Amino acid sequence: MPEVADIEQLPVAQARAGEPAAWDALFRRYQLPLYVYVFELVRDEQAGLDIVQETFIAAVRHLGGLRENAKFGSWLFGIAHQKCIQRWRKRKEILFDEIPESPDEFDDSPDDLLVRREQEAEFMNLLNQLPLPQRSVLLLHFVEDFSLEEIARITETQLGTVKSRLHYAKKSLRKLLEEKK
Amino acid sequence: MKTPRDLLFARHQAAGPRLDAIRRDVMAAEFNHQDTKAQSWPVVFMSWCLGGFNRLWLELVWPCRRVWTGLAAVWVFLLIINVAQRDHSPVIIAQSQPTVAMLLAFRDQEKILNELLADHSQPTEADRPRNFAPKPRSEISGTVII
Repeated sequence: MPEVADIEQLPVAQARAGEPAAWDALFRRYQLPLYVYVFELVRDEQAGLDIVQETFIAAVRHLGGLRENAKFGSWLFGIAHQKCIQRWRKRKEILFDEIPESPDEFDDSPDDLLVRREQEAEFMNLLNQLPLPQRSVLLLHFVEDFSLEEIARITETQLGTVKSRLHYAKKSLRKLLEEKK
Repeated sequence: MKTPRDLLFARHQAAGPRLDAIRRDVMAAEFNHQDTKAQSWPVVFMSWCLGGFNRLWLELVWPCRRVWTGLAAVWVFLLIINVAQRDHSPVIIAQSQPTVAMLLAFRDQEKILNELLADHSQPTEADRPRNFAPKPRSEISGTVII
């Protein structure tokens, strides 16, 4: 399983120089998190794999557009997110449901929500019941532990909106899990 | 107890081999073309042109495809109108018979044109120089009275 902590050691500079080995390392690092994120959004295995492939190709061709090497991960997820949006638009799914108010208190750790073994299937089921924007934010938080600013950049939304979505998504999940106990 | 991250990754671990295959495909497709130094320059030039065209298509045309389609439709519409008008006018002229007055006017114009364009390089009778003996200016006879 890829470690979130080793992001700083990613060979982005070498990838900029066009070294295939560097690209291979980057793809290896992100292929599973990217697939998890995309699959849980589009709920289609083949579509998920296609989007991962398209994202990798776009990354190789447009790395010049990345300003800071340290933000490679969020940049890559941003590409994948846009690909998902394109797919949703084709299917004419509802993308954005705005949650107006922003919560004052906010828990910022992805591990504050623990799932018991007997609840695992239930958890995945509940995750899929969340509206797409909330699910997207929650997955980015869970899968890569992106900061709120990074999630806002990936999903191209306001920071307050991200905060709200994450707060309400976690709250809904907790509530649903407690109800199922 | 598992974190959601552990749970999600464990759930999709089976996709690993397919993701590896995708990674290898992308690497092969995107980095093998760097060996084009060994290829002849027309092949390189062609692939460069195609790559450029593809990039233009993806970045310039495809994102605004509706706008481009609209513009293309307007141009096609204008072209159709233009062609329709151009084709129609000679048919009318060909079908209409010239009137007698028009024929007479045409002949008159032709006559005038012939006169105007006549060959003036040879001097005519009127232009030919005549032997001219100048006469005294006064009418007084030449007798001198002393």
